[in-house]
Amino acid sequence: MAHDLLEAARGATALARKAGAQEAAAVASRARSVTVEWRDGKLEKVTEATTRGIALEIYADGRYGAVSTSDLRPEALERFIADAVALTRALEKDPYRALPDPALYRGQAAVDLDLEDRAHGSLTPARRLDLARAAEAAARSAKGAGAILSVSTGFSDTLGESWRVHTNGFEGSRRGTDFHVWAQVSARDADGRRPEDWDSGGARHLADVPAAEDVGRRAAARALGRLGSRKGGSARTALVVEARAAGRLVAALFEPLSAAALQQKRSFLEGKAGEVIGSPRLHLGDDPLVPRGLGSRLYDAEGLAARRFPVFEKGVLRSYYVDTYYGRKLGLPPTTRGASNLAWQLGESSREALVAGVRDGILVTGFLGGNSNGTTGEFSHGLQGFRIRAGALAEPLSEMNVSGDHRSLWKGLVAVGNDPYPWSPMRTPTLVFEDVQVAGV
Amino acid sequence: MPSDGRIGRRRFMEMSGATLIAAGAADLAGCAGLAARPAGQTEGIAWFARFGITEQLVADALSAALSRGADAADVFFQHRISSSLGLQDGAVNRAYASVSLGVGVRAVKGDQQGYGFTEDLTPEALREAARTAAAIADGPSRPGPSRFHVEGRPPQRYPMKLRWEDVRPDQKMPVLSELNQRAFAADPRIEKVSIYFADEYGAVLVADSRGRIVEDVQPMTLLYLSCVAGQDGRRESGGYNVAGRAGFELWTPERLDRIVRRAVERTTVLFEAVPAPAGEMPVVLAAGSSGILLHEAIGHGMEADFNRKGTSIYSDRIGKPVARPFVNVVDDATVEGARGAINVDDEGNPAGRTHLVENGILATYLHDEISARHYGVRPTGNGRRQSYQHAPLPRMRATYMLPGPHRREEIIASVKRGIYCENFTNGQVNIGAGDFTFYVKNGRLIEDGKLTRPIKDVNIIGNGPRVLEQVDMVADDLEIDEGGWTCGKDGQSVPVSQGLPTVRVASLTVGGRGPKG
Repeated sequence: MAHDLLEAARGATALARKAGAQEAAAVASRARSVTVEWRDGKLEKVTEATTRGIALEIYADGRYGAVSTSDLRPEALERFIADAVALTRALEKDPYRALPDPALYRGQAAVDLDLEDRAHGSLTPARRLDLARAAEAAARSAKGAGAILSVSTGFSDTLGESWRVHTNGFEGSRRGTDFHVWAQVSARDADGRRPEDWDSGGARHLADVPAAEDVGRRAAARALGRLGSRKGGSARTALVVEARAAGRLVAALFEPLSAAALQQKRSFLEGKAGEVIGSPRLHLGDDPLVPRGLGSRLYDAEGLAARRFPVFEKGVLRSYYVDTYYGRKLGLPPTTRGASNLAWQLGESSREALVAGVRDGILVTGFLGGNSNGTTGEFSHGLQGFRIRAGALAEPLSEMNVSGDHRSLWKGLVAVGNDPYPWSPMRTPTLVFEDVQVAGV
Repeated sequence: MPSDGRIGRRRFMEMSGATLIAAGAADLAGCAGLAARPAGQTEGIAWFARFGITEQLVADALSAALSRGADAADVFFQHRISSSLGLQDGAVNRAYASVSLGVGVRAVKGDQQGYGFTEDLTPEALREAARTAAAIADGPSRPGPSRFHVEGRPPQRYPMKLRWEDVRPDQKMPVLSELNQRAFAADPRIEKVSIYFADEYGAVLVADSRGRIVEDVQPMTLLYLSCVAGQDGRRESGGYNVAGRAGFELWTPERLDRIVRRAVERTTVLFEAVPAPAGEMPVVLAAGSSGILLHEAIGHGMEADFNRKGTSIYSDRIGKPVARPFVNVVDDATVEGARGAINVDDEGNPAGRTHLVENGILATYLHDEISARHYGVRPTGNGRRQSYQHAPLPRMRATYMLPGPHRREEIIASVKRGIYCENFTNGQVNIGAGDFTFYVKNGRLIEDGKLTRPIKDVNIIGNGPRVLEQVDMVADDLEIDEGGWTCGKDGQSVPVSQGLPTVRVASLTVGGRGPKG
């Protein structure tokens, strides 16, 4: 692991102490990334760079400040940190601020998360271009490709590394790669609209990234499937939310689980631990230790040793995401600062079987904007997808909206698919909700 | 929560919340003691001289970027010092600061681009970034400029009286403490108050292979007060924020008073809200931040990159009628002190006012250099970027509709059953299909021509060109919103403004849960 980053992080904490801080936490990081964008038969843009920076949290005289800089010239850095400590000391005191209890640093899992693809260095510019080109070619060979207006594809890869150093004993490093391939397709509709859709996939190892051809083909099929879409009627109906789209709803359910939201009274899940929030099918936990996982980590954003824990069990809320600061304010022991990978108890049915099972309803393939009120649980989002008639996909829908309340939505979770979306750490499967309000004509 | 990262190629806009505020502290520049310079453009290299940047260094970088036959090249230096103070649970007990310093080098061949950037401003690192960019082309070297000149007379759209370099934390802290006390005093139902006060200063320097060079000193400040109120076992949260390109003088007693009053009103009124209706109905948009409609319904679709690629619903519609003759929509860099104001764009082009819709006719796309060359027109000064880590794209600045022939009262009175939208949190658009949404945090029902019960938390969805056709009344009360809006596109965020007079849209789909009335 890069020794210069360890030295930089140690150096930053030492400068903070020299300037008068009692405690400090520093992260020094560096990332090398290349992005190739390809459009309609030729290269569009190549971006390549190494970026770096230092972030520092300062605990001085019972006060707290957090700073970061990309200006690492030694004289500038020393001045920056001295000024940051002076700024921190000008604040009001906060008795709840402290570095984590060092006992919580211990006990990191003895597993190899396998987050770095060692073949990364041998990835050539030609190979990146080939993947982007292959995605376009596959999109253009799709059935009905005559309606395609434009295909944009791309490939990116990053090697990132960092060291975290705390003055009360924590030192840890991370190093990992990620690779992404994507395709976006626009098509011409009969009435002048130009619907678009995309497909993509990303993984820690190049071998786990989906084939560029599959990504291109799926993007084309999705975009062409949007042709002729129209607005359906307002109704209360069953919703089958595709695995890829379901993350939006799950994120809104998880945001109010943070200790910050609880302590600031911005959570409709405050005081609900042990209570039924969803149907028995809402059963998932946080798993930071998945080999090659997109959200995997041995320690969290505060250096706490990462461990698995249940979040919902058979619909019952089991755990919040508690960090050191808001945990101290609430009198709760820390769990971890934010979600890593979500691990779902999966169902047995594919998306197709779930669609067949609801008979009549809407398949949601994407949300458009909207928001969720974490304080009350209300939500309202634009949607696109397909009408389900007699258990089969019928006409494509657009310009519709779904709204409801997370306090009741999850109790209507009647089925969970067997198809976790692999390209997001949330790994959401297809979710089926009954009796949801949609608005349209 | 984890997100899907860089693949989300969404076009969206949102109100800056606490999490969006770049952090920093005014006296953390590492460059205090240097002579203060006026904001705005300066001749040649002034701000960046402190980092050892010279015309020779810039010329060498451009030569390296052209070394493999690119048609054109530019460099973009950025030094941004961001600071913020946070108040929570009654105390100003957190400070954030960040310094962002770096340079991006771009080489352009036709409409292909190579881009490299570095945080290290040494000649070697600059040359390396330039060589990376140069590789987009594959031909004989072209000569770069040996001399640089500043084009035109620089405007000054963000004059500062009290510069952030000179404002100490102990001058800012009482502002937060007083707002906190006043928010609690304003209504006994207030249970929690959070305040973020952010400021930013620094400069950009753009130089290109035509020998143009320009620096722009760019301030920004934002104040966000959010609160949580409780009543009868229920809780509601809301807030208000104000932003602008200005110094400390922006925070006048009147403005601070408005922040408290509106934040508290907008939160406590939520207890009276009834469920918003579901379905198609007339929608009246209040003057001000309702400009979010324009941003989503037409603004993004008029960004020339999408049209150059043929993927916008507005492709091939220039010169055609898209709205009634009294509808005029502009994108304007010149609104003094606005969050979306710029003196010059991030490609060094002058930035003025561009008509998207003129007397109901679709007029002009928003161009950057590449699209302007593609269409054979002058750039409109819309080439913007989030930072030195990004190549520029056509982006909006302050987008608004000019006043029309109607009056607000007559517009509200004209609606039998509909809704009135006053306050928004975010919006999003699909450029090609034209579908867009915006989320209404506060609004009211219109019943028999009168504003009645409050509504809240409802998304509205429409289709851009169809909605423009349905704008059938425009009032004379244009207001450019003072809020801290941030626009996202292709993974880049830029500050923008928006505005609208009171407008009636004959029909939009309201995504509520209540009866249609």
